Amino acid sequence: MTEYSVIGKQVHKVDGPAKVTGSAKYTFDIELPNMLYGKILRSPYSHARIVNIDTSEAEKLIGVKAIVTGKDTLGIKHGVWRRFPELCDEEILCREKVRYIGDPVAAVAAIDEDTAEEALDLIEVEYELLPAVFNPLEGMKEDAPQLHEGVERNINVTRHIEWGDADEDFEKCDFIREEQFYSSPQAHVCMETHGAVADFGHDGKLTVYTSTQSNYYIQVLVANMLGLREGDVRVIKPPSGGAFGSKFELDSAQFCASLLSQKLRQPVKIILNREEEFTATKRKTPMYYYVKVGAKKDGTLMAKEVRVITEGGAYTAMGATALTLTGFYSSLPYRWHSYRYDGVRVYTNTAPASALRGFGAPQAYFTGESIIDMLAEDMNMDPLELRRQNAVTPNYEVPGQAFIQSCGLSECYDTIEKYIKERGKLPPNHGIGIGNYGFMSGGIFNWFNTPYAFSAAIVKINIDGKVDLFTGACDVGQGSDTALSMICAEELGVHLDDIRIHADDTDLGPPDLGAWGSRQTLMSGNAVKMAAADAKRQLIEFAYAKLSPNVVYDMDIKDHQIYIVDRPERKASYFDIVKEVIRAREGQVIIGRGHYTPHRKGMVSPAWGFGVQAVEVEVDPETGKYKLLEIVTAHDCGQVINPVAVLGQVEGATMMAAGGAFCEDQPADNGRILNPSIADYKIIRSLDMPKTVGIEVDTYEPEGPFGAKEAGEGLTSPTGGAIANAIYNAVGARIKELPITPEKVLKAIKEKEQQQEQKEE
Amino acid sequence: MIKDFKYFAPKTLKEALTLLDKYRDENKVIAGGQSLLILMRHGLVAPEYLINIKGISELDYIKSDVKEGLKIGALTTHRTIEKSPVMKNGYSVLAEMEQKLASIQTRNWGTIGGNLCHADPAGDPMPVLIALKATLKIASSNGERTMAAEDFCLDYFETALEPDELLTEIQIPPVPPYTGTAYTKFNIIENDTPTVGVAVSITLASKDGNCQDARIVLGAAAPKPIRAQKAEEILRGKKLTDSLLKEAGEIASTECEPISDIHASAEYRQELVRVLVKRVAKEALDRAQQY
Amino acid sequence: MSEELRLTVNGQPYQIYVKPKTLLVEVLRKHLGLTGTKRSCDSGSCGACTVVLNGMAVKSCSILALQADGAEVITIEGLANGDKLHPLQRAFLDYGAYQCGFCTAGMLASAKAFLDENPNPTEQQIRECIDGNICRCTGYNSIIRAITAVVNGDYKEEK
Repeated sequence: MTEYSVIGKQVHKVDGPAKVTGSAKYTFDIELPNMLYGKILRSPYSHARIVNIDTSEAEKLIGVKAIVTGKDTLGIKHGVWRRFPELCDEEILCREKVRYIGDPVAAVAAIDEDTAEEALDLIEVEYELLPAVFNPLEGMKEDAPQLHEGVERNINVTRHIEWGDADEDFEKCDFIREEQFYSSPQAHVCMETHGAVADFGHDGKLTVYTSTQSNYYIQVLVANMLGLREGDVRVIKPPSGGAFGSKFELDSAQFCASLLSQKLRQPVKIILNREEEFTATKRKTPMYYYVKVGAKKDGTLMAKEVRVITEGGAYTAMGATALTLTGFYSSLPYRWHSYRYDGVRVYTNTAPASALRGFGAPQAYFTGESIIDMLAEDMNMDPLELRRQNAVTPNYEVPGQAFIQSCGLSECYDTIEKYIKERGKLPPNHGIGIGNYGFMSGGIFNWFNTPYAFSAAIVKINIDGKVDLFTGACDVGQGSDTALSMICAEELGVHLDDIRIHADDTDLGPPDLGAWGSRQTLMSGNAVKMAAADAKRQLIEFAYAKLSPNVVYDMDIKDHQIYIVDRPERKASYFDIVKEVIRAREGQVIIGRGHYTPHRKGMVSPAWGFGVQAVEVEVDPETGKYKLLEIVTAHDCGQVINPVAVLGQVEGATMMAAGGAFCEDQPADNGRILNPSIADYKIIRSLDMPKTVGIEVDTYEPEGPFGAKEAGEGLTSPTGGAIANAIYNAVGARIKELPITPEKVLKAIKEKEQQQEQKEE
Repeated sequence: MIKDFKYFAPKTLKEALTLLDKYRDENKVIAGGQSLLILMRHGLVAPEYLINIKGISELDYIKSDVKEGLKIGALTTHRTIEKSPVMKNGYSVLAEMEQKLASIQTRNWGTIGGNLCHADPAGDPMPVLIALKATLKIASSNGERTMAAEDFCLDYFETALEPDELLTEIQIPPVPPYTGTAYTKFNIIENDTPTVGVAVSITLASKDGNCQDARIVLGAAAPKPIRAQKAEEILRGKKLTDSLLKEAGEIASTECEPISDIHASAEYRQELVRVLVKRVAKEALDRAQQY
Repeated sequence: MSEELRLTVNGQPYQIYVKPKTLLVEVLRKHLGLTGTKRSCDSGSCGACTVVLNGMAVKSCSILALQADGAEVITIEGLANGDKLHPLQRAFLDYGAYQCGFCTAGMLASAKAFLDENPNPTEQQIRECIDGNICRCTGYNSIIRAITAVVNGDYKEEK
């Protein structure tokens, strides 16, 4: 195990002092001189034609400065999948019709929030109601109401993944299991709601301060929607209060604030309230799953067939990615001899479904890990053994799909097996369930159609040795600012507090695709490492010439010392060399450049993180209520960069994933979400949070910086399945629809009792 | 968005009652405001006059007397009740209920009187007070009256208070010997609003004697907290066995009219009543025997 | 229609005039510029707005500013003494007891109010003291570890 100076150590995160003292300024806190406040009027109907919008009364209200509707836009339909124009289907400010309850129709800028809100009430919108459809199974029918012109049967995207011949393989199987599952919607519930402060200057240039996972994406999309040159839009990401997949698309706050500011040439601030956050931002894609698995009696998993129908909601958003990834993750982490996936995304008149941490993996693993346990039971095999026997291994190729280099699954199984053994015999109504996963470290696809490298970085060394690190990577709380600073410091041989990271301004740093798909540690990390190495090389060249060894030696920098590796007593001070290099270059600062785009790494991801999780529950068989007692996760994230942050990711991801199974849901009635408040949308709190244990197994990922790969998103994958399995092991109740409520558990227990009574008769 | 209002902050009960009399139809009273402010922020309640009674210290007290029992001022906070040393023995159920009522922040600022006047059928205090046979003292500028706690709630969020009246005190009689009272609420998230709530009080004739009196009170199972009187009836005068308590649960589940909502179906709520009445009655019985 | 409000915030007395409908959190954030305390929901459920009022943790979005007349309020900005951080703040840094940081002001207020009143709590009680504060990032356990470390005396108050 290599001994590093910075990475792998216990450090304070670089944003810590600002956050624990309350001095970090979020978008929510920004107040600019001459700033106006905006509010958005949204459709109360699921599907309707906009006949007329009368803003005259609202305009008369004192303090109202401007009102915009779809007519004030360029009428561009935007989307994140820019490579496929037919999937760019969202106007944001609707021109002709609204497609879900919450679809924006107008936006107001006023001198204060109360006035803006009052103005909304005075805007008269005449709608012509249209028939609506809320369920994808209904939406696919021939006679279903059509949401988007030209999209027949509302089938928005289809995906197919296949290798081998599944039908042939099923013939050879001794055990086959077929089941249907449902994975429910879930809301991100970021503590900071979506928001933006847009400042369009008289110089024709726009600055947008916004809570985002990708300021580059927002820059490109806003520029496009407003008819501006990309370079004339500057997006600044202040410290961001959470994102989890909800903030890398252009949202209504950003767009409407920018449009209003463009009109008025004054800053406009729009912050969504919690109800808008629940109803009118993107959410986790609900999915209907059909799964068929087959195995031989020697324990070999042979074939898997998966058909998925996803509820797309009113627009594509990133739902096409979720559809693709869920199909791919459904094959992991096992070596299926054959596999077939068909996925369909269907438009419905509901809130658009997009990306939530895991991005199709929690759905895939809830279903996949449940059915594997069912199959193991049929085969009279230990569920851990069935998994272990068939798990992917290091250097495995998923046929035609992906190449897996490092993989620590084997060690993860050992760890969990040990934990279960030590737990011993469980009390009555207790059960332990397991789930495992494999997850991408960023995607290789370029559906956004960017011409840029996926990640890039610039390192600038100043005369006093202090380093400025410029990157487009976004820290939304997961700690990328710190991790990237640590990678930079390690590579450059300096201390963490020598680095000052600038990762928040599209004007300052090179573009980066942003914080999603668990890509930044690997991709942005590689770019940073390369930039630091470039700067380091410039220092080493000079130091080499200065120390003048008479044999060719390697040199390196550690702890502010530039030294000959084989003769460490021959060294020079980093600070001295920096001064001399700058001198030698006519006073220019030292700049290092780096970039990274994955290539030759298969069709999905350059590297994969893995894990195995065990959940222990206790069920009350008379009420169906269950407690989450302990969640133990053994996971493989390659080299750990920041151990405190990784543990935080294990625990945070677990809370979010467990919530999706335990208590979070968005029940709706004809497209209206019935619980758009934190009082009614139940979230795990500190008294509900189980004991968590996170164990990193030691692996090294050659593709990642210092051997690191993803940690933080994959960890949302196994929990749903593990909880379902644990409840089954505790009381014999199998729940195949999320969320797993006490009411469902009790119903299943009673059904099982009835079945047993019938058997005995 | 909260609409503007005229604000008063009386420092005495007398001042408050005079204001209520004067602004009869257009006023709202705010104590802790933990329920009211949310309604006002959503524009569901928009009074012209808001009377803040939180500062009336003469209504913030807990008095305990062997003969008179417990007297709690309406403006006593949940947290004060929870931490009060007099909440022991027969009254410990009050502290237990308060501790799980909501977050510490809500308990620090919200008052028991405010909670009772809000008359949420899922409220925790009322079923417990009914089980303890509490009476409520109500004042207006014309005088005072008392009523049994169980008569206070009329319907969803509707009480028997007249527009010029204030709830001033909760009176809980001394706990008879061999009496045990317990309360349980069912929810998925801790300290949350209950899906159903059950309070049971059992009085035995002697330590191992028959049941002399029983009160079974259900919360969140009807438009207001209700007593399952048929279930109570089968317990009175009998030796309380496990099977009898189970039967009481069964009967109680037929006496309530819960609603189906996003959190649970009516059938499930009835099932919960069936199970919880049995369990809470057992807890109350154990406490009665340990008296 | 403005009424006089006198209160002390972080040791500093203020006298301001506010409309009666103003919430305490609005006074803190807008009138006094103390933006450390956040708002995250409209139903008084999330705890992000928690401050310490007369020694108690309360939700400043669910209190009318005028109800805090005469009160002593402490916000996150009042925890440190110049550059000397409060033990809870130091523990939060060491244990990474925050990620996005949006809930942190409320968490620190709840923890401070609780520990000032209960210097020797059990783990269950520590969990309960932040049960009114939602965190979407950390899963709470790192926050519990940080508070526990302070309870165990690992952080002495810096003078």
